Amino acid sequence: MPKLRLNYFGPLFFLLIAMILPFFLADYWIYSLTITLYYVVMAVTWNLLGGYTGQFSLSHHTFAVIGSYTSALLIIKTGVPLWMGMVSSWMFNAIISVLLGILCLRMRGIYLALTTWAFAEIVKTYIRMDFEFTGGDRGLKTLLFFKTMNPLPYYYLFLAFAVLTIIVIAIIMRSRIGYYLRAIRNDEVAAQAMGVDIVRWKVFAFMVASVFASMAGTLYGHFTGLISPVSGEFYEMALIIIFVVIGGMRSQTGPVVGAVSVRFLAEVLKKWPEVRMVILASIVILIMRFFNGGLIEFLRKVFQRIRQRKSSEPVSAYSKIE
Amino acid sequence: MNNKGHLLLDIKNLVKDFGGLRAVNNVSLNLREGEIRGLIGPNGSGKTTMINLITGIYPIGHGAIYFSGYRIDGLQPNVIAGKGIMRTFQISRVFKDMTVLENMMVPALSQNQNMMEAKLRAEELLEFALLARLKEEPAKNLSGGQNMLLQIVRGFMNKNLRLYLLDEPFAGVHQVIKGVILKTIKKMNEEKAVTFLIVSHELTTIQYLCHQISVLHRGEMISHGTMEEVANDPQVIDAYLGG
Repeated sequence: MPKLRLNYFGPLFFLLIAMILPFFLADYWIYSLTITLYYVVMAVTWNLLGGYTGQFSLSHHTFAVIGSYTSALLIIKTGVPLWMGMVSSWMFNAIISVLLGILCLRMRGIYLALTTWAFAEIVKTYIRMDFEFTGGDRGLKTLLFFKTMNPLPYYYLFLAFAVLTIIVIAIIMRSRIGYYLRAIRNDEVAAQAMGVDIVRWKVFAFMVASVFASMAGTLYGHFTGLISPVSGEFYEMALIIIFVVIGGMRSQTGPVVGAVSVRFLAEVLKKWPEVRMVILASIVILIMRFFNGGLIEFLRKVFQRIRQRKSSEPVSAYSKIE
Repeated sequence: MNNKGHLLLDIKNLVKDFGGLRAVNNVSLNLREGEIRGLIGPNGSGKTTMINLITGIYPIGHGAIYFSGYRIDGLQPNVIAGKGIMRTFQISRVFKDMTVLENMMVPALSQNQNMMEAKLRAEELLEFALLARLKEEPAKNLSGGQNMLLQIVRGFMNKNLRLYLLDEPFAGVHQVIKGVILKTIKKMNEEKAVTFLIVSHELTTIQYLCHQISVLHRGEMISHGTMEEVANDPQVIDAYLGG
């Protein structure tokens, strides 16, 4: 039991800080943190796909775009209440993601990446082309969730949603499904030979990640009050991958650390937008070269060094059997 | 005793082509419950292809595969595993980023076994296979022999296991680990009546373990019988020595 409490102490401490932080910040920073929480959700859920399951999807941001547009269009064109527009868009996304998931079942690596990228381009281009329906590049005005532009309530809404997402993904990864997904990423053929229904669980992972992305997208749309196809640019997808890689792939805290630290760095570098992406990309290269487990792996190694001073007994795995 | 078992695996006139190459040509094979059968043959004779066909990794060309009276060709590999057929791979395919214990859990959890019960059973099996002290170690840290051993004991986590197909389980394996593998096969055959089909080039080990031996050559079944019968078969001598 004490171990259990210790495990939860860190996340609860950071949650507490996140809850009191807005009281010390200007509206601009609260707005920026709210956007950061949106990216936390996107990074954590992409990590389920690209990290744990090995499905390198490049259409994750597109599900957020589809979510935000579906909800906004339903509300504008049919007059349904906001909640119904949001829930309907999540259901629509679930169907789209299952169909795309089935289409991509036999694909891995670059083939899956290219197919999902092509899907993302189709969606973005459609939104741009059908401007009479979607508003095109001018964008689309959306209903505000709290009927106010004050970012504070949105911050708490996104914080609650990010916490919920992190908990759901953690539960999935600790359950039997987590074993299946990790086995699939390691070796699909062996996983199937061990009895894992790879078709079912790959589609499941694709659907869960996409539905969470669409939920984040709808909330984002009803927070900013204006959506545009810019959110469907590949740059958005690259950012999500950067968050995960810098934070640490296949780790539950990595994408959170990555999204928060990179977003903070991006804010600091805001005065030099032209070099911002160059610096971020350079950091990715350095992390891939020296710490491909990301910041989380770096921190883990630092703590390990400290602990090793107390007890260090490296044992060869082979020597143990004899 | 073993010959009295029910017919467990019944392969009828199996054919498999890869493009213009016929890898398996009209092969029929019967395995009775509780039997340990050796499957030998020169390199490229179709032994591994046979395992891939039985487990559904490759679709069959012609023929039929019956397991316990039910036709299983055309089923997905995970469905076939669920029916109680497990396999190992010639080049060990453990889940490298997962720990030894987590590797053991995968087949059990895929059958919806209780997680705690599965964990206890996995620890028991690892203890028997002398891998218990490595249970928290990622599989990528294990030696080649330990990986093979883990591959083999992992299959025993399938509670329905009735037929185990082992593809070159002794290749490049340390003598200590080989001894553990032999002990494990014997124990599971005697105590759990698991039927084995073992592909191997180690004829002395095959002779020690197996009741019957089948010989494949260029995709065709050329001989079948005890080691003595097979060793004296002119077709087998020709296949091994004549090329």
